[in-house]
Amino acid sequence: MLGWPRRLPALLLIGLLLPCAIVVIFTAAMNLQETDHYAAIVQSGNPSGVDSISSGQQLSGQSSTLRHTVEIRRPTGPPRVITTLKDASGEFVTVACSTCHTTRPPNHQNKSVRELDEFHSGMAFSHGTVSCLSCHNSEDYDSLKLADGAPVEFTSVMTLCGQCHGPQLKDYQHGAHGGMNGYWDLTRGPQQKNNCVDCHDPHSPQFPHMKPVFKPRDRFLEQSGTEH
Amino acid sequence: MANSRTDAVRSYPGFLWWGLGQATNGGLSFYVWMFVLTAISLVGANAWAHQVAEGMILTNMTDHVSWGLYIANFTFCVGLAAGGVMMVIPAYLYDDEDMHKVVIIGEAVAIAAIVMCTLSVMVDLGRPDRFWHLIPVIGRVNWPVSMLTWDVIVLNGYLLINLHIVGYLLYMRYLGRKPNPRWYVPFVFLSILWAISIHTVTAFLYCGLGGRPFWNTALLAPRFLASAFVSGPAFIILVMRILRITTGYSAPPGPARTLIQIIRVSMTINLIMLASELFTLFYTGGAHSASAKYLFFGSHGHFGLVPWIWTAIVCNLVGTALFFMPNALERGSIRIVACVLCIVGIWIEKGMGLIIPGFIPSTLHEIVEYTPSLVEWKVTAGIWAFGFLLLTVLLKLIATVFASEKSGTALERVSE
Amino acid sequence: MTPHKTTNGQDPNESANRRSAEPLLPILEAPSTRRTVLKTVGAALGLAAFGEALSPLMVVPENMSIDEFLQQHYKELSDDDKQRIFSRLEAETKERFGAEVKIVDPKPIPGVRFGYAINVSKCNGNGKCMEACNRENNHHRGVDQSYIRVLEMSKGSMDMEHGSTTFDHTVPQDDKFYMPVQCQQCDNPPCVSACPIEATWKEDDGIVVVDYNWCIGCRYCEAACPYHARRFNWEPPEIPAGEVNPNQGYLSNRIRPQGAMEKCHFCLHRTREGRAPACQEACPTGARVFGDLNDPDSDINYVLKNKRVFVLKEELGTKPSFFYYFDS
Repeated sequence: MLGWPRRLPALLLIGLLLPCAIVVIFTAAMNLQETDHYAAIVQSGNPSGVDSISSGQQLSGQSSTLRHTVEIRRPTGPPRVITTLKDASGEFVTVACSTCHTTRPPNHQNKSVRELDEFHSGMAFSHGTVSCLSCHNSEDYDSLKLADGAPVEFTSVMTLCGQCHGPQLKDYQHGAHGGMNGYWDLTRGPQQKNNCVDCHDPHSPQFPHMKPVFKPRDRFLEQSGTEH
Repeated sequence: MANSRTDAVRSYPGFLWWGLGQATNGGLSFYVWMFVLTAISLVGANAWAHQVAEGMILTNMTDHVSWGLYIANFTFCVGLAAGGVMMVIPAYLYDDEDMHKVVIIGEAVAIAAIVMCTLSVMVDLGRPDRFWHLIPVIGRVNWPVSMLTWDVIVLNGYLLINLHIVGYLLYMRYLGRKPNPRWYVPFVFLSILWAISIHTVTAFLYCGLGGRPFWNTALLAPRFLASAFVSGPAFIILVMRILRITTGYSAPPGPARTLIQIIRVSMTINLIMLASELFTLFYTGGAHSASAKYLFFGSHGHFGLVPWIWTAIVCNLVGTALFFMPNALERGSIRIVACVLCIVGIWIEKGMGLIIPGFIPSTLHEIVEYTPSLVEWKVTAGIWAFGFLLLTVLLKLIATVFASEKSGTALERVSE
Repeated sequence: MTPHKTTNGQDPNESANRRSAEPLLPILEAPSTRRTVLKTVGAALGLAAFGEALSPLMVVPENMSIDEFLQQHYKELSDDDKQRIFSRLEAETKERFGAEVKIVDPKPIPGVRFGYAINVSKCNGNGKCMEACNRENNHHRGVDQSYIRVLEMSKGSMDMEHGSTTFDHTVPQDDKFYMPVQCQQCDNPPCVSACPIEATWKEDDGIVVVDYNWCIGCRYCEAACPYHARRFNWEPPEIPAGEVNPNQGYLSNRIRPQGAMEKCHFCLHRTREGRAPACQEACPTGARVFGDLNDPDSDINYVLKNKRVFVLKEELGTKPSFFYYFDS
């Protein structure tokens, strides 16, 4: 028993270090077995295959396996203006833009709502410095026009918006803008996507403000509102 | 007399049964004491039954503060159990004769404390009916990765080792034989190693979590050990004093003095480490100190733990100062007050002052405060009452065995 | 432990007792002293009181079958076992919630590893994802549980301490950005390491799942998670029969038992069939991008390669499969 006092520190040390050592060895072994998925993600492939949406309606994958379509919702067509008159069934009568605009000279300078009247009153316009006729076609008010003057249908609005909003269009083509419903895996089912004007008012495209719809109710968490 | 009993009872179960009978003998005040403890235990059992039936919603724990009083109490009890070994180290490593006589009290405290640990974990489970999933072989344990699995294994191992040592020593005395060192000395050394492991592993349980900066410090395990080496001996000093009052026996001053020396050193180390921790947290500042800031000074208008931790600080400092008074080495009320202060201080420091602030603010920096519910207090009180019940029975058994072995002189060894 | 009794080492009564008990085990001898009788009565009363104290537990066996009690870990179940268990759970759901449900167990799609990204430039904190999660995953309606928490953060700071989840004003505020946090499906998940009984693990497609029937509810994983992604069932969940989502996965959105842990599972009952997770479909801002990390042409890989992407608490080494990015 004489030697024991000298062994005390050693015993204490073993008691302390033994569990540590075992844990470290085992966890290290476990970690070695793990493949480093992170490196795999970062290195895998390159961003190829940007789908074209030239028609603005449908995307189809280019791979050889059978793929379902990406359905992009489209606007119903040229907008119609609601008048104050009612028809026989009591519905308000609507008229096409061209009904009035064919007889009126276009104002190429107009960039604000103030100068508009009649059916346009009350309209909010906040879309950078573009003028009305940057997009509206003064030759045919029932269609739109591209920057080069070529007419484009209201249903193909995405082509029009994409002229300026290239980054958004690119993101959109890769699912990083506009959201989606349906299948992430097109080999198993179709996908539905919005078009620009589903979410953005073209005259005031900023996404609208919202009221939060839902909050988990935690016990003892003060619903103070903002700062804690 | 010893020989006749050797003939009479040879089986160990028989000895245990006899011991139970003897341990439940006593005078009126003994029965009152046992009755009160039983009653509190039953209140706790009832509260726990309600908690199991109606859900943990009866506690005030939340997804933000997902551990509360139960785990806080668990942490302290592990320290108490590890502290029991403080008696063993000088006795066997340094061959301290006086300590040899009181070692068994430390072992008894360790057994009771481990049982309290196990109960504290049990009551914290949402599905105690699935407890068997934790049992190796029939369950599915995540060993060696999960620190909790380690903890379950080492705690139960520690319980078995101490049950063996205490049981063997008592049984031999009961049979009137001299204990064979081969059957208990190796286990004593194992229990020394094991005592350090249980508290180290319990600290790793918390400090291994990278998502909880308040716990994620290498100092946690040493701090746990240091504070365990205060609370354990302090508790044993209290137990010896109670034995002296109730049995009327006065102990030789040696063992208590050794324990107080241990406490002096350990508490100083504990306070130094606490101070280093606080320096790092507050001098560096930033997100890592958010919990400490909340704990000590409150933050964003929440001050739930501030009274707790300052109570602990005051208790620890005053208790330590008292321990360093020369009078503390003499019999008297000073060392008793000091023990009580240090036990209370460490209970808070390791429990409400360590476990709870780890969750406040939450990992997303939300502040949800926590105050134990009545059910939690009842269950915790029940666990403590049961622990005391067990300790009383163990001490009574020890006293009886020692007394019957050599009437008169032997009992001194126990009641010292 | 009364005073006096042991002053001489022994109490006369006590030694007499023992002597009478010496021949053999005292109980077998049945010495029927007054003390023994009193002790027996006391023990009986104590046991009775103990039984009475624990009587609230009687509801537990009523609500649980032997099959459920003995049910093995998910990975040890045969297909037959699973069928039996799913039928039992469907019947229980019918009985408790009055809803006809179908529980399935879709397996990971070979070669697929899921990733999820959120555009913090787009997210405006409207909370529709939280609502969709609540409906899709049969969450407890009593607390409007959800696997997602949306943080309102101050622009110019990534310090969550200046964030808030309890905002209820119009969003987005000009000086704020919004950051939904849910399970990050880490590649090095601290919760999986923490679990003492392997009740939670990472599947081949990267989703960290929980066996709700194996979890003992110790909540160590909840302490280990750096993202507040785990939720505990503090009380039995309540869902009106009409709102129960009948398409349920065993490891995902089936109604969870009280006392078990749960977490976001990327809607695996949907995503393993090729469909988008519920929170992505619900997002009105298009801020969420989901897909296969192993497919170089996937949407999620486009984001990882072309955007300024970050992960939460990267310094912890958890390697999330959940990403955040800015538009510009």
